[in-house]
Formats: sequence, structure tokens, C-alpha cells
Amino acid sequence: MATRSQTAAVLLAGALALAACGSGGSGKSNGGGSTAQGGGRTLVIDTSFDLKTADPGRTYEPTGLIIGKAAYETLLTFEGSDVTKPVPALAESYELSEDGKVLTLKLKKGATFADGSPVTADDVVFSLTRVRDMKGTPSFLLDGVEVAKTDDSTITLTSKQANPALPYILPNPALGILNSKLAKSHGATADSQDKAEQYLNSSSAGSGPYQIESFNVSSQVVLKKNDKYYGTKPFYDKVVIRNVEAATQKLNVQRGDSQVALNLSGDQVTGMPASLSVKKTASANVIFLFANQDSGISKTTPNAKFVEAVRKGVDYAGLLELAGEGATQTPGVIPSQLLGALGADQATKRDVAGAKAALAASGLSNPTVKLEYPSELTVNGLSFQPLAERIQANLKEVGITVDLQPAPVTTALDNYRNGKEEMGLWYWGPDYPDPSDYLAFLPGKTVGLRAGWKDGADKAASAAGDKAAAAVGEDARKQAYADLQKQLNASSPFVPLIQPSQNIVTATSVTGLEYHPVWTVDVADLAGK
Amino acid sequence: MSAMTSAKETADAAPRVRRRRGAHPLARFLFRRILTAVLLAWGITLVTFVLTNLVPGDPVTANLGQRALGDPAIVAQWRAEHGLDKPLWEQYALHLGGLVQGDFGVSQQSHRPVAEDLAQFVPATLELAGAAIAVSLVLGVAFGVVAALRRDRLPDHVLRVLSLIGISVPTFWLALVAFYVFFYRLQITPGSGRVDPAIGEAPAVTGLQTVDALIAGRWDVFVSAVGHLITPALVLALYTIGLLTRFTRSAVLEVLGQDYVRAARAKGLPGRVILFRYVLRSALVPVITVAGLAFGSLLSGTVLVEAIFAWPGIGQYAYKSATTLDLPAVMGVGLVVGVVYLVINLIVDVLYGVIDPRVRLQ
Repeated sequence: MATRSQTAAVLLAGALALAACGSGGSGKSNGGGSTAQGGGRTLVIDTSFDLKTADPGRTYEPTGLIIGKAAYETLLTFEGSDVTKPVPALAESYELSEDGKVLTLKLKKGATFADGSPVTADDVVFSLTRVRDMKGTPSFLLDGVEVAKTDDSTITLTSKQANPALPYILPNPALGILNSKLAKSHGATADSQDKAEQYLNSSSAGSGPYQIESFNVSSQVVLKKNDKYYGTKPFYDKVVIRNVEAATQKLNVQRGDSQVALNLSGDQVTGMPASLSVKKTASANVIFLFANQDSGISKTTPNAKFVEAVRKGVDYAGLLELAGEGATQTPGVIPSQLLGALGADQATKRDVAGAKAALAASGLSNPTVKLEYPSELTVNGLSFQPLAERIQANLKEVGITVDLQPAPVTTALDNYRNGKEEMGLWYWGPDYPDPSDYLAFLPGKTVGLRAGWKDGADKAASAAGDKAAAAVGEDARKQAYADLQKQLNASSPFVPLIQPSQNIVTATSVTGLEYHPVWTVDVADLAGK
Repeated sequence: MSAMTSAKETADAAPRVRRRRGAHPLARFLFRRILTAVLLAWGITLVTFVLTNLVPGDPVTANLGQRALGDPAIVAQWRAEHGLDKPLWEQYALHLGGLVQGDFGVSQQSHRPVAEDLAQFVPATLELAGAAIAVSLVLGVAFGVVAALRRDRLPDHVLRVLSLIGISVPTFWLALVAFYVFFYRLQITPGSGRVDPAIGEAPAVTGLQTVDALIAGRWDVFVSAVGHLITPALVLALYTIGLLTRFTRSAVLEVLGQDYVRAARAKGLPGRVILFRYVLRSALVPVITVAGLAFGSLLSGTVLVEAIFAWPGIGQYAYKSATTLDLPAVMGVGLVVGVVYLVINLIVDVLYGVIDPRVRLQ
């Protein structure tokens, strides 16, 4: 018996030793866990990756745009978070012709790529034509735009129709300027035969303040400072962007393991300690409801009075409560940051009696409709599920029975895209911060068709759209887009709901953070104390 | 259990084979198993292909932006680029033809060859799962033996409760709680990922961070890598530890009551010899069957653990591939996991022969 217990004791001791050994090791590595050691200042940003590539010509995902913004420069850019006015970047000035068709840009002198070679007009022509003709996701940004070099420092962009949105499109990091010689030597071409993506994923060929040190599409991207950057040098020597799930992001930033967390929901940012600052900004994503106008899809939803009942029946304030602090109601389809957005005073208010009256006038009695939405999708940390449930409850009060039909996003998107949803709950983020992006909501256009709103279905809306598209000059455009949205609120199948809040948590040591509707965050703007 | 019977069948056939051809029975056994494994692997490719194509949803919608989706030229170009414009049978034939040459296709999300992606992510998971397997074997068997030797006394009760917890607590929840308690509250473990971002990774040679750190002579990376490995590996191992404790306990108890153990004890052999040569050797046979199966389930656990600890392994890759309908990647992961299962089963069968001579000599 004695020997048996000895053996057991040895085994147990071994197990304990192993465990002790384990915690010893972790303790040590924790000691080395601070940032800013050895090789200079390091910034760690945690985000839920939405990333496919670091090739600007193929980039269209939020995480990709953060990287693109850091590694490449565009002709024009935006100052801070203000997207109403494009400012010079690689181009020192720009001028739009009176008919809105020709945009002339003067290149800045002295701009250089990371290898020291100058940024030339040829690089610009190559980069922009490549995006347009490679037929990648962002190629629509330059659809029908002719790029030409007039002299060594002048570029003209010519569109067939008035294109006053172009200066607002050019800051998109997808239109970053490549070092064409370097890119071509690694297989870049200005058509769909392009083979440069692998190279551009491993090292960047831009003139931005950072370069890509390592790139892993599902775990982390490391940016290092571009030592030859000709502009103001960024503060951090190294920026590590990690793919971290939201709950873990919260603990990492609270513990100081990371300095920035990008994807926390309204609930997750409540009660943060004083050592962290929380920036809550209404995002530019607009969540909206639509009622399909195609009588082949539904006998109920094409009824104009039914849409009115829905519009008046939704409790917008209640939805905002769900979305948390920082969220805002969207008066029209255009988000608050953009030119032409409607003022908060023009927002639709809940009117249950009005909704009931509209429903009575529709001739429908106790209608039942299916509401489809992406079940697992979150926009700025806000899930669609509670929103859909709240809308269901709101409309029940009015007398409309809503049958909730959640589906995984890839499945739901299929139905949505093909215009097969009776009612849908979706969101639209601006492809570029110009109101013309929202012409997609018109009859016969991308989003309009998804709501079964065919070309010619609403002459007044189409006319207002044409007027807005043709308007040139800030004031004229502002007015035209405001008019368009009022028209859409009166007769379209779309009910704009809210812009959820983008919550960014940073260590208080990090300064200079601005939420940007296009690239979320410009890492070169960040500094430390 | 099927592994056991097949091993026995082979063992039955073995003496005759040896007489007839002179081939070593183990070689013959391995040959047959590998042949079956190849057939099974082919079956896996077929099943994953059919399943991934059966799920509703169009990969195009998962991969292109809303604007790009509105442009038929871009959609057509994307389909052609990924071979989705071809009929299904042709897609499968191409896929299989590529596999034979080691080409898994190109991932739609990373735009890289799936083989390259796998080569990058599999080592990270192997490191995590390997650590978990080592820990669970050592602790699971040790706990089981201790519980059996101390039957119905305090250590037994404690270990049985612990193993019950290990088996019943969901890995996902445990990972969250462990991260919260050890990283955030107690501050004794490092955060997510494989190494500290400020230290940086060692140059990839094997893909195993701890090994690469040693190769590069980077002691700081090694310490950081081991530290980052501990919590996720323990979380992952807990289920297997619980399972192995229970099975080892009952197996050891059964053997302890056997006449030959009593005889050994009666003739005065030291307890150590009795435990290792008599008891453990017989008790391990059923334990190995369970261990083999448990390690298979450990792989599915990595999907959840990797998500919580931001561990850049095949679990995260599989999850992302599945949610974005990245068919080549899903099929690649399916095949790799399937092959791992096959290999583990093969090892279990071979170990039978090593541990229990009766399997060979019958």
C-alpha cells in the first residue's frame, strides 16, 4: 500500500509541477507584454476583420481601407472627419469644369514613393486605369471616367455626364496611387490579367506614411513606418492590426494589451474605466426598411397607403434606444455627415393614429407581411435581430402582422439582391461620401430594384433624381438632394430608420482619433502621450 | 470500437500472410489501412464538395460589394475567375484533378492558393492542439490512476467532480471565462494571439511559433509564445482531460481486481512495477480508443477557442471560409481535418499492437 500511494504522490506531484511550470511561464511573458519596447513605439488596434486584400485596386472592405489609407496616398483626401470638402493630397489643387464633366488636377511636387522615386502623372494614369479596367470590386468608382495626362504635372478625368461626385470619390483608398514601375515589375497590368495582388499583399508600393510589413488576411496585419515618407512622419513606428472578436477586444483594451478597439457595441462600451476614452459617433451606415413594390412578390406591400402606415407606425425613438448612445435617426436616406442630408427637424415621427388611418384607407384588413433580414449581421456592433423584433411589435399596434424571416447574410442577401423580399430590413453604407451614391435608391436603380421599384414606377421621384444628378455647385446640389429625399419620404418604398453609433475605444494615451465614414480610422493621425 | 475490430481482423490474418509472402504483418496492415485512407479521403472530397454546393446562398454575394453586385460584368468576371461559371461536375473534376497535384484551388477570401493558406494556418492549430493533447494525456491518465488508486476517498471525489466539470462545461463558455479571469482579472496570462505584438513573431520555418523561436534563438519570443499557448491549450484540453480521467479510472479499477495483479502483489513486486508493467499496460487499451476519438473532437473545439483567443489557426480560417461561402477553402479545411482523423485512427490501431501483444500474436 505504501508503494502505491508513493506512486500516486509522484504522479500528482508531476501534474502539479507541470501546472506550476505553466503559470510560471505565463507570468514571465506577461512581464514582457507592454508595448513600446525595444523596436520603437508600437500601436495595437483590435478589430473584427473584414479583409480580403491589400491591393488597393481590389480593396473594398473596411479593414482593407484602413490599411490602404495608411500605405497609399490618393489624389484628394478629407481633413479629419469632415467629408463635405475634399482637400489636396497628391494633387495640390483641383478644378471641376462648369458642366461638371472634366476634373483637372495639378500634381504636388516633391511627393515620393517609399523607394524614393517621385510620384509622376504616369503613375496616376496607370493606377486609376488599373482600378477601372481590372473589374475588381471598386472598379465602379471610376466607371466611364477617362484618365489622361495633359503634361507632367496635370491629370484630367473626363466623364460622359456631369460627375460632380468625382472629387468625393477620389479620396477612397481603393484609388491609391501605385508606384507603377514597381507594380508592373511584379505583374501589374491595367486589365483583368493583372497578377500583382500577391505582391501587393506582401509589401506595399505606395507613397503613404506606412508600409506593409506583414499581411495575414485572417489574423493580423503589421504596418511599419515608411522611413522615406516625404510628409509629416507618423508617431508610431509600428502598427499591429489584429483580428479579434468583439468580446475579446473589450478585455484586451481594458487590460492595456491593445490601445484601440474598433468594434464594440453600445452595451459593451458602457461603464468603461477612466483610463480609456470612448468615442461615440453616428456612423454613415443607414439602416432602412423597405416594402416591395412588385405585385408579383406581394399583394400587400405595393399599396402606397400601406407604406405610409409602416412609415408612421415605426417607433424611431424606441429603435434609437436599442441602438444606444451616439446613434441617430436618419431623416432621409442620406446620412447626416453628407452634403444634402436632411435636418433632424425633418425626421418622420411616430404617429400611431395616422398609421391606423392610412391602413384603413389602404383597404387592407389585418395584413400579414414577411420581413426578411440578415440574422447574424451586425452594423457597428448593432444586431438586426432586436431591431426587427421591435419593428414587429410597433407594427402590431397599428394592425399589421409582421412575420419575421431571419436568414444568414449570404442567403438573405441573395433574396434581397434579386428583389424577392416582401419587406426587408437592410443597411447601406456610402461607397463614397457624396449624395449621388444615394441615387441608387431611385426607381430602376440598384437598391430601387431590390424593392421591386421599377424604372418609370414613380415619375416624380425619377425627375427629382435627375435634377439632383445634374446639379452642379454646392448650394444647388444641397437643395436638389434635400428635395429628392423629401420626395422619397413621400412616395418611395423606403423607410430610413437609424444610423447606428460607431464606438471606438482607445487608451487615453492615444490622441488624434477621428472616426471617418470611409476609412474608419487614419492610423497616421494617431499619436501618443 | 471499429478500429479495434479491424485491428483484430488484421491480426487474425497476419500469421497466414507472413507464411505466404514473408511480409511483415505490420507492413501489410499499414498498406491496407493507407489504401482505405486514400479511398476515404476521396469520399471526403466528394461529400464536402456536394455539401458546400448544396448550401443556399451565392458566393458572389458574400464576396462582392453591393455596388459591384449590380454590375453584371464584374459578377461574370468574378465567377469566371473562380471557375463558378462551369457546370458542377466539371468544377468537381477540376477540383479533384488539382488535388492530385497538390493544388487545392484559390481561396475567394484571401485570393491566395488554399494550399498556401493551409500551410500558414495548420501549424498554428497543430501547435495549440499538440499542446492540448500532451497536457490532456499526461493529466488525464495521471488523474485517472490517482482516482482509481484512491477509490472512494477524497482525491477520487475531487477528481471525479473535476472531470465531470471538464466534460460538461461548453468549451466556448470556458474560453471566455478563462480569458476573463486569468487575463483580465488576475492578470497572470498574456492576451490574445500567438505572441506579444510588440515582440513580433520569429521568422517562419516550421510555423510552430515555439520551435521557430528556438531556431532563431529568440528567447523572448519563445517565452511569449509559451505564455500565449497555456490558457487556450488548457481550455481546449479540459474536455479531454475529463474524459480520459473517467476512462482511465474505470479501466484501472477493472485491472486492479484481476488475479494476475493480485498475484504480482502477493509475490512482493514493488508497487511501481505493478502499476506500470501490469496495471497501466492493460488499462491503456480502452483509454487509447477514447483518446483517439477525443482528439478528433478537440479539432472542432479549436474553432471556438481560436475565435476567443484570436488564435490564427485553421479553426478561424474554417469559420471565416464557411461564413463567406469560400468553397475551395471549406473543401481544403474539410480534407485536412478528415485526413487528421484518419491518421489519428491509424496511430491508435498501430498502438494497440504495441501495447497489447495479443492483438499481434493471436
